[in-house]
Parts: sequence; structure tokens; C-alpha cells
Amino acid sequence: MNKLLTGVSAGVVLLMAGGTALAQELPGKFEGVTIDAKLIGGQQYEALYSRISEWEKATGATVNVISKKNHFELDKEIKSDIAVGAISWCVGSNHSSFAPQYPGIYTDLAALLPASEIDAFVDANIAASTLDGKLVMLPRAQFDVSAMYYQKSLYADEANKAKFKEKYGYDLTPPDTWEQVTDQAEFFANPPDFYGTQYAGKEEAINGRFYEMLRAEGGEYLDADGRPAINSEAGVRALNWFVELYKAKAVPAGTTNYLWDDLGQGFASGTVALNLDWPGWAGFFNDPGASKVAGNVGVVAPPKGSSGARTGWSGHHGFSVTESCANKEAAASLVWFLTNEENQKLEAGAGPLPTRDAVWTWVIEQAKDDPYRKEVLEAFQEAAKGAYPVPQSPSWIEISNAVYPELQAAILGDKTTQQALDDAAAKATAILEDAGEL
Amino acid sequence: MDENQTNRIKQILLKIGHLVGLFIAMAIICLPGLWIVLSSLRPTVEIMAKPPVWIPESLSFDAYIAMFSGVGQGGIPVLDYFRNSIIISVTSTVIALAIGLAGGYAFARYRFRGKTAIFLGFMLTRTVPGIALSLPLFFVYAKLGIIDTHFGLIIAYVALNVPFTVWLIDGFFRQVPRDLAEAAQIDGCTRWQAFWQVEFPLARSGIASAGIFAFLISWNEFALASQLTRSTNSKTLPVGLLDYTAEFTIDWRGMCALAVVMIIPALTLTFIVQKHLVSGLTSGAVKG
Amino acid sequence: MRGWKPAPHVLLLLPAFVVLAAVVVVPLLLSLYSSFTPFRLTRPETIYTFIGFRNYLRLFADQEFWVAFGRTVLLLTIALNLEMVLGLFLALLVEKATRGQRLLRTIMMFPMMFSPILVGFQFKFMFNDNIGLVNNALQSLGLTDRAIPWLIDSQLAFTSILIAEIWSSTSVFAIFILAGLMAMPREPLEAAKVDGCTPLQSFRYVTWPFIMPFAYIAMTIRSLDIARAYDIVKIMTDGGPAKRTEILWTLISRTAYSDARMGLANAMAYVAIFLSILFTILFFRQLAKARQQIGAEW
Repeated sequence: MNKLLTGVSAGVVLLMAGGTALAQELPGKFEGVTIDAKLIGGQQYEALYSRISEWEKATGATVNVISKKNHFELDKEIKSDIAVGAISWCVGSNHSSFAPQYPGIYTDLAALLPASEIDAFVDANIAASTLDGKLVMLPRAQFDVSAMYYQKSLYADEANKAKFKEKYGYDLTPPDTWEQVTDQAEFFANPPDFYGTQYAGKEEAINGRFYEMLRAEGGEYLDADGRPAINSEAGVRALNWFVELYKAKAVPAGTTNYLWDDLGQGFASGTVALNLDWPGWAGFFNDPGASKVAGNVGVVAPPKGSSGARTGWSGHHGFSVTESCANKEAAASLVWFLTNEENQKLEAGAGPLPTRDAVWTWVIEQAKDDPYRKEVLEAFQEAAKGAYPVPQSPSWIEISNAVYPELQAAILGDKTTQQALDDAAAKATAILEDAGEL
Repeated sequence: MDENQTNRIKQILLKIGHLVGLFIAMAIICLPGLWIVLSSLRPTVEIMAKPPVWIPESLSFDAYIAMFSGVGQGGIPVLDYFRNSIIISVTSTVIALAIGLAGGYAFARYRFRGKTAIFLGFMLTRTVPGIALSLPLFFVYAKLGIIDTHFGLIIAYVALNVPFTVWLIDGFFRQVPRDLAEAAQIDGCTRWQAFWQVEFPLARSGIASAGIFAFLISWNEFALASQLTRSTNSKTLPVGLLDYTAEFTIDWRGMCALAVVMIIPALTLTFIVQKHLVSGLTSGAVKG
Repeated sequence: MRGWKPAPHVLLLLPAFVVLAAVVVVPLLLSLYSSFTPFRLTRPETIYTFIGFRNYLRLFADQEFWVAFGRTVLLLTIALNLEMVLGLFLALLVEKATRGQRLLRTIMMFPMMFSPILVGFQFKFMFNDNIGLVNNALQSLGLTDRAIPWLIDSQLAFTSILIAEIWSSTSVFAIFILAGLMAMPREPLEAAKVDGCTPLQSFRYVTWPFIMPFAYIAMTIRSLDIARAYDIVKIMTDGGPAKRTEILWTLISRTAYSDARMGLANAMAYVAIFLSILFTILFFRQLAKARQQIGAEW
């Protein structure tokens, strides 16, 4: 915090430390300082970066963007930098799912920024950004949790309603539990022209979805001692949800090769009834130039599992400052600027979910005349209540890579559910042991 | 008479068969490419439609306009990528050709011990998968401070192409009779002059063919480029393709538009050079 | 002192040596070393722990690795052979054409203009079971009423990858074989005709032996370049689902970067390099044999 105010002597800062008087002084003055930054690239992230010049103007510092790549490429790059000891940059884009893999390279932002600023963020997001007591990143307005998109017309159709009631004994309404999702998906499915639902089927995506279902069924991924506990009864129930839908052909046959883009395109093509998906798609689905279901999209909070909980595997983007940064105060000021209220409004205004309480209030207020946007925000706000990040283990991605082929094997019928989960748990345990975490 | 007639019918049938075969082959080659061009011109809702929309209802250059409209407004720094790609591909091709000329000439004109072994050794450097090379190369580059520079990528591509250029050019020099250069030297040329004025022009088509292969490989290379480039300082077009992917989304239409921008220069170049290419390969590699 | 003057061929080969040593050999030695360590990218200090052959021993006992290894060999063998046969047909077709040679040749090389990652995306979308071009076409034509799971079923997924790979690389064979056809002297063919050979016979005994060396050159170049297939497979299936299409390169790159276990990945890479070397030497020897048949010196 100390150099945020140029011209104030260290002694004065020490006297004032702990107070909140400094909070107003952001972004500060950093004449002649150059900050090297690695930023995540991609259309939806770019608008924010055009504001960097304003920070430069306000502080007198310059920002040098030394890398801009998509997430997985950036992850590869940061790992390479760690490996060869080339962390010569100051600010990096970060993500809550990747952050635990980079132990020690990022500094504690809580020590650099006033507490009042940090308090302005949603508590859950701050908790998910804190590793071993260190606040390693400040969340930007790119918070992701899933909600259930559906085609409204299907639920308004009287013939559907009558037939459904007759077959399942309850009214056809947008699903509130995963059991209902199964019923409705099987009811709507008419392969190969139409499918009840779909799910991401590979890589971290299926693992995350499984994790979500596992929690909804009352299970845990890692138990209290940090041991993989996925092969529990709840685990079997959770994985069986995926298996049964696949067997019933209620999901597209290719679903185990789908990633987010395939899912989004699939729902937009109008061939899928229900789709648990991210907030980033909300605008796309309702855009007549991109989606056939535009105007026909409804959104509800994620359904409940047998435990009665709505669970949401979530993640968010953020910015971090490296330990090796020569001018941490300036870097922290930039990170603060990129995630401040005004800039969160800029990003959240375009669709993504914010991570500051005040901005949540603002977007909901903004949406009051737009029923679709309002519906979307309400669903995601409800989803956010049950949201949690991935386990904060440096081995999470590696565990994911070992577990997902086993989940696929169960879905495709190569293994029984129990056997697949036992194998997955054994592999995950071995990984944690190798890494010295067990 | 009769036999003649059946012969003629047979020939006509053969000819038709040939044309049909040619047409089908070309269609199979072209269709996926044309699909990309078409995808770049259609709205996304039509590309991923089901039931499929076979006949486009509306075509537009929106994706291209968006691409060039600047970062932050839906664009990507395509001009920077294009510039990097051109600089890197052309420079590395030229250098690889120069080194290939020297190496090929040595293999063709001199006898020395271990020739076959050295030749095979050069070839085998190409067998190393990029993935085994990428991190150690990154390590070396990071120590030298040439990450994210044109120079770094150029050197990498030169190494990628040298084995191939040496091989082809070696073959061409073998084709040029030794006596020609010797005669020129007797006429008072230096060896250097004899090379440039007699041997080099004769091997030109081989050089052209090695050049186009080297260029296409550099132009399309992705694995090393994704590791060694980082920003608009040096990112090339294939790496730029990934600008159209985000964490959850992928803009296939935009990607197709960029692909078209990538393919056009390569196609034009191939069309111009292909005459040399075929005659080049012909006289080159085999007899080498 | 006039000083030591190196032989001209040494001087001429020097640039090639320097570049290859700097860009390939030095990094390779580094990665060879790291294959004897438990090197993790995210824990750089692990590169100093020497563990001998443990990574290799682990691999030799790892069934999944050998399945991937076998699949890679199978993919290479089928792809290279099919590409050669198709390339031969394509070259014959183009060579017989009387008009538009220049255009035809350019079209023939069209797939070479496509960056492999683009080929990957292109075929992934085409083979999508729900909204992909292939299933849409088959369903529209009434050939099937099912959504064929192209990228899921292990055989179909393997075939789909094969198709993408063949589409993108047959050109290389075609262009080399075409070069061979165009270079062929006419006299032997005419002599064969006079001797009463059928077209098939003259192809078998006159044309084929002549163009075989070209085919082997293409084979060698392709086998050198084969890791190109990585980008395609990575994007189409990434080795999945349930490891049904796992090949060495997808396994290696996942282990290296996503899992960050570079030491283990480098050990795998060395086994892969060994495989490529084997393929290359095999083709190189075939090439030398084929060359001798047409009486060229080596």
C-alpha cells in the first residue's frame, strides 16, 4: 500500500497503515513506470483493454502488453515461464480454475490495496481468489456459473403438456430438479432431429459438470483429508445421470466429444430442448443473426439434486500481480483499475456477470425494462448462491485429465459406473500422492 | 470397321470416365475449402443450422469487415499478423534456400567421408516432434531473450526447412553436368562466377520448388509459433486463428474469414510458381 | 602464417550444421536430460533431481501408453499407404488431362494451403453428429435416419481422423508422383505398346518402377512431417472419448503442458522420436533401392 501515494514519506504511511484514508487515492501516480502485462485475448475481453489508456493517463505509467492469448495457450505460456524462471512481467490474467497451479508466483493483493476496495467485491468471489490466505487475484466482471436455458415454446405447447402429464403424472414446467430434467429430456428427445438435453463431454468440462452433479447428490470430490471421494454412492448416482441420458439417446450421440462451443452452437441450432450453460451465451442465444431459438429462450436457475441443493461449479477471471514485479504498487493499481466499478459496469453491460456487489445491483437495475435480460440475471443470481470454485489443489487440472476419460468410459458403456469411478479415484489418489499432497 | 468402332466407343468411354473421375477428385479436394469460404460469408445461424440450409439465403462480408475494424470492435490485429507472417515466412524461406544451396552444392559436388551419414542425419532432425522441441527451445530462447521476436521464429523455421532444401537442391546440382562449370572455368571464370552464371540458372526450377514447400510450411506452422510468439510483435496468422476462440465460445465464421485471408496469398504464390514446381521436382530429387 | 583453410565442403555445410545444432540438437539434449528427472513445469527446482530411468520404466509398464503407441503406428501406416495410392490416382488423372493443367495442379495443391489446425476445426465441424455437414447431407439425401456418431465410435472416429489427415496430405504425394510422371521418357511406353502390352501391363512394368522413387520421396518427407497430424487430432477429438483415439502426440502434449509433467512427457517423446527415426530409415532405404533400379547414383 505504501507507495500508492507518491510523495508521502514511509513514516507517514506507516502511521496511517490500517486506516482507510488511502482508499480514495487510487489509482495513484507512477510517472515513468512501465508495467508488462499478459492478458487473456478474445472478443469478449477486448473492450476492457481499450480503457487501459485512461489508467496510463491518470497515473503517468505505461502498460506494455507482452502477450495476448486464449486461456489454454496462456496457461501453457505461464507454466513455461515458471519452468525457465522467466517471470519478468508484472500483471497477468488469471482464472480461478487455473490459479492453484501456479503456487507462489503471485503476490498477496490484500497487502497492496485498501480493505474497503476488496470488501466491495462479492465475498464468494474473493474467497475463491484466495489461496492459502493470499488474495492472488482481483476478479473482473467475468464470473461464470451455469443456469438452465430452455426453449419456451415447448413448455407452452398444450399437446406437450397433456402428454407429459399423462406419462409422468406431474405438470410440464421448466425443470426444478435433475430428475425432472431426465424425464423431460427423454420426453422431448426425437433423435436424430431433436434432443432433450446435452452436456459437455470432455476435458475439464465433463469433470466440472460431474463435480456439480456430485455435490447436488450430496457427495464430495475430495474428502476432509483431501482424498478423492468420487467413488461414493453419491458419485455413482451422479455419474449415472449422465450415463442414463446417453443410453436413452436423449442427448446427441456426439456429446462426449462436445466442448462449450459445440453445446452453444447445438442449442442455437434449435435442436436441443434444455441446455445447462454459461452466462456468456445469453446474448448469442437471443440474437436472430446467430441463433434459431432467438426470442424463444427461457432461463431458470440450475435444478436441484437429490440433496436438495442447487450447485454451481463456477470460475471467474481476474488479474494478478507477480511476486517478482519491481513496482507492485503500480501493478496493483492497474489491477484495481481493470476491476473497478466503472470498468465492471463496462464489461457487465455487455452480458458477462460482475463480481462487485454494487455492479450486480446496477445491472439488475439496468435490465428492468428488458424482460429477457432480467430473466437471465435472476436465474444466474440464484445460481451464484450455490456457486463454488474447484478444489484449490495444484493438481486439479492433472486430476481432471486423469478422471475425464474414466467418466467417458462409463457414459459410453466401456465400464460400469462403479468401476469407472473406482479407477478414476485410484488415479486421482496416485496423482495427489506423486505431488506430495497426500 | 467394327473393331475400329468399338475401339472408338471404348476411347470415348475412357475419356468420359477420366473426366468424371477428375471432376469427382477435384470436387472432394475443393469442397471442404469452398465450405470454409462459404461459411465466412454466411450468418452463423445458417452455418450451424438444422435442418441444413443448403442454399445460402444471405451472403455478406460482415465477417471481413469486422475482422479489419480494429481490436475492441470485434476485430483482430490482422494486419500485424499478416505482416509478421510475411516477414517470417519470406525471410526464413530465403535463408533456408541459401543454406540449402550451400549444403546441396557441397553434397552434389564434393566427395567426403560420411556423406550418407551426414545426409541422413540432416533428415532425421526433421523427425523430432515439435512437442519435444518446444519447451527446450523456449528455454534456450528465453535465455537469449529472443522470445516473441521475428528473429527467433525465423531461425526455427530455417532449421525446419533446411533438411528439405538441402535434399532437393542437391538433386538439382547433380543434374547439371560438371563439365559445364569446368568449361566456364577454363574460359576464365572464377569458380564463383561459374556457379552463378552457369550452374545456378540451371538449377533455378529446383530452387523454386524447394522455396514453395519451405514457404508453405512456414506459412502454416502452428505448434512452434504458438510457443515462441506472444504478442502482435511476432504472432503469425495460424496463431491468430485462435483469437477467434474464447473460453466458452468460438467464432467459426470469423475464423473462416481469417482462413480465407491466409489461403489467398499462398494460393496465388503456388499458382505462379507451380510451373517450376513440377518441372523442378522432376529433374531434382529422384536422380539425386 | 597463411592459417588453416578448411575444405570447401566443410565451409558450405557449416551454416546448415550451425542452424540445426542450435535449433534442434541443443534443445534435444536438454530434453533428453529432463527425461531423467521428475521435472514439473510448475516446480522448476525438480529439474535438478536425477531419477535415472524411472520415467522410462514407468512408461514400459504403462498399458495406456503402448495402446496409444500402437494406434499411432496403425494410423501412420494406413494414412501413408492410402495417401500414396490416392496420390497416385490423382496424379494419373491430372496428368491425363489435356487442358487446364496449370489450374488443375494448383487445385491439386489446395489442401496444402490449409494450416493443420484449420483442418482440425473444419473436419470437427463437418463430422459433428448433430449439426455437422456430413450427417446433414446423409440425412437430407435419405441415406440414413440416424445421427452417426462420427467422432465417438472408436472405428468411426479413427476413420474420421484418417479422412482429415488424408484430405490434407494426399496432395504432397500427388505432386511428387505427378512430377515423376511428367519426367518419364516416352520411348519405353511406346515400345511396350508395340510389344502388345495392355495399358495395365505397361503401367505395372514401365510406369510404376519409374515413379516409385518419387513415391518414396514423398513417403520420406511425409513421415518426417507426420507430427503435423497432431494439430488435427488435438482439435478433432483430443484423443477421446475414453482414450479411443489417443495417439502419442496428444498424450505427450497433455502430459507436458496440461499436467505440467515435462520430464515424463520428454521420456514419451523420446520413444516417439525413435519411432519416427525407424520409419524414416525404412523409407530412406527403400528410396535408395528404388533409385538404384533406375540407375541413379548415390
